[in-house]
Amino acid sequence: MTNKILTRNNVKIFGQGSQPVIFAHGFGCDQNMWRFLTPGFEPDFKIVLFDYVGSGKSDLTAFNPARYDKLDGYAKDVIEICDALALSDAIFIGHSVSGMVGSLAAIERPELFQSLIQIGPSPCYINHPPDYTGGFEREDIVGLLDMMDKNYIGWANFLAPVIMKNPDRPELGAELEESFCSTDPRIARCFAEATFFADNRGDLEKVKTPSLIVQVTDDAIAPVSVGEFMHRKMPNSRLHLLEASGHCPHMSHPQETIKVIKEYLGTY
Amino acid sequence: MFRDDGKIVEVNDKLLDLLGYERDELLRLHVEKIFSVAGRIFYQTHFFPLLKIKGSVEEIYLDLRPRTGETIPVLVNAVRQERDGQTFNDSIFVAMRQRSQYEDEILRAKREAEAATRAKDEFFSVVSHELRTPLNAITGWAQMIKNRSIDDYCRRGVEAIERSARIQSRLIEDLLDLSRIISGKMKIEVRQIELGEIISRAIEVITPAAEAKHIRLEVILESDAYVSGDAARLQQVFWNLLSNAIKFTPKYGRVQIRLGRVNSSVEVSISDTGQGIKADFLPYVFERFRQADNAATTREGGLGLGMAITRNILELHGGTIKAESPGENMGATFTVCLPVTIVHRNENVAGEELWAGKTDETSNNHSDLEGLNVLVVDDDVDGRYLMTTILSLYKAKPITAASVAEAFEKIESLKPDLVISDIEMPGENGFSLIKKLNAFNEKRKRKIPAIALTGHVGQAERLKVLKAGFQVHLAKPIEPEELLVVIANLANWSNNE
Repeated sequence: MTNKILTRNNVKIFGQGSQPVIFAHGFGCDQNMWRFLTPGFEPDFKIVLFDYVGSGKSDLTAFNPARYDKLDGYAKDVIEICDALALSDAIFIGHSVSGMVGSLAAIERPELFQSLIQIGPSPCYINHPPDYTGGFEREDIVGLLDMMDKNYIGWANFLAPVIMKNPDRPELGAELEESFCSTDPRIARCFAEATFFADNRGDLEKVKTPSLIVQVTDDAIAPVSVGEFMHRKMPNSRLHLLEASGHCPHMSHPQETIKVIKEYLGTY
Repeated sequence: MFRDDGKIVEVNDKLLDLLGYERDELLRLHVEKIFSVAGRIFYQTHFFPLLKIKGSVEEIYLDLRPRTGETIPVLVNAVRQERDGQTFNDSIFVAMRQRSQYEDEILRAKREAEAATRAKDEFFSVVSHELRTPLNAITGWAQMIKNRSIDDYCRRGVEAIERSARIQSRLIEDLLDLSRIISGKMKIEVRQIELGEIISRAIEVITPAAEAKHIRLEVILESDAYVSGDAARLQQVFWNLLSNAIKFTPKYGRVQIRLGRVNSSVEVSISDTGQGIKADFLPYVFERFRQADNAATTREGGLGLGMAITRNILELHGGTIKAESPGENMGATFTVCLPVTIVHRNENVAGEELWAGKTDETSNNHSDLEGLNVLVVDDDVDGRYLMTTILSLYKAKPITAASVAEAFEKIESLKPDLVISDIEMPGENGFSLIKKLNAFNEKRKRKIPAIALTGHVGQAERLKVLKAGFQVHLAKPIEPEELLVVIANLANWSNNE
């Protein structure tokens, strides 16, 4: 079983320390996105990388839409990986939607996590006027799904049968794997819907694990007001504003991001 | 050109035109601001990570949002470049307003066509069922009336009604079968059957038609052949092939049926001295709705579904069919190939007596597996333990392997009598194993049979496994007695090879 989970989620472990740090990628990406951040943690920590089922080099056959159409399914992946590795008191670093995924996992199994570091998180991406501004209207997300359809299937391929139904032509899948982090457009769509239509605002107050919210001052996907909202609702949280633009500070500003996280962990 | 932090550092006039910005305005913006909202999300979640990790992106579809007016769909290529010790992302945008409209149209048309086909399939399925209902009343009443004392005129009429209704009923059954094939609902009830018996029954049915045309039927059953299959469906297959052979063979011709064993398969060939098949039609013989354009099909009617259904039934059995013809008026040969397999004993009714000695006395009659070397391949230690326990109970000699690589080393060095393999394993899986085993068996006189263990039940899985070359598919959880029966039979099979 242990082995199956580690293969299923393409789990990679390295680093010279003993304190485990789990890095959880966001929607649209896979564990590769952490490669600019991990060097900063390698000497002192045990680094655990993984791909959610459906992303990267995970086992696509393990994908079950009934499990992965909501964030709980992704939180289960995290918990199962922790159990498979017998981890406890881990530091969880999650980007974007994975901030919330880590929170859900920590609500369910608080003993697994010592702290949660959330980079550009959001409990709800859709606006709920007048009290809450998530940043997007439903139509925006529909537009995104449309754009994904066109990008994932591609002009050259979109008239051909859906990739996964095409075991005779594995090169089709390989080609997509080269370009995006999920090979199956339907799986990517499922993750997109689970991410952008989620509303976990009510869960925030249940997160007792100490949390650091790393918020970029100019982030189109998670506006500062969202970070402030989370900080207000989460009892044990700290908010750090990173003077930058964009949604991926761990890729665009890796050194600053490492510094912020390490300061929080008291290891800088 | 923009930096990783999103700052735009260089832009050409064309893009400024497109966006309706002045240069100094644009140079103050984060690059994502030139995209639509959906485009920004896609930029942040896909475009930028990919560009940063892989160093370049190609043909990414995004929407530009100009200062005024509608969004402009663009294709973007970008590459990372070093300049003066800094990294820049150099990107090229190609506006594709019209092309994007074509794409949308084609995509929409494709979705509509798919929906229409689905609707048609459903309609088709409903119609086929509805057609059958009144037919029951027609044939039922025709029989009742026939059994009363009626005059010759009425009798001839009723018999014509009955005959026509029977033909109609067969056409409808074909339509229903096709509908089942389309919807993936075609099922076979598998049990142990003797193929020779099935063929004999089909021959009985078509004998009157053959005699009417003075066609000589030659039947050569070279060996008995136990296969696992659906008796009614296989009879349908052979009836179909034989009635076609007779349909297309002229008076005083000959139809030959030959059954024989070829390696681990049973081969049945049906040859006729009929009109043959034109070379250009041969590839389409098994396609639905396709009929060779000739006098016989026009004369005999039919929907052109029989061969498509035949092939589908055979594929569900893990079998194949091929058609050969040297040319027009030179006859044709259809060859059916079915794997010799064993199945679930619970489903085994016809073959019950075959196991009579074991069904009641499995506990004290294990001699069949005594000394048999069985290789168990499973990455899961509990799975291996269970299998070795069962096998040891039946006095077999289990060997285990935790991976395909290890399994293959043991196959080569120990040459087991039988392999039982899990399908889902990390890295190389059961399919990879059977591929290697097939190649290994090619070179050997005594073949090593293999059983696939999967967590899935169902036709598709079974088919996939059998097609890959496993002799038997067993679904977990395994019942010890079932395993015993299957192994005993497979071991006999390989001894007889």
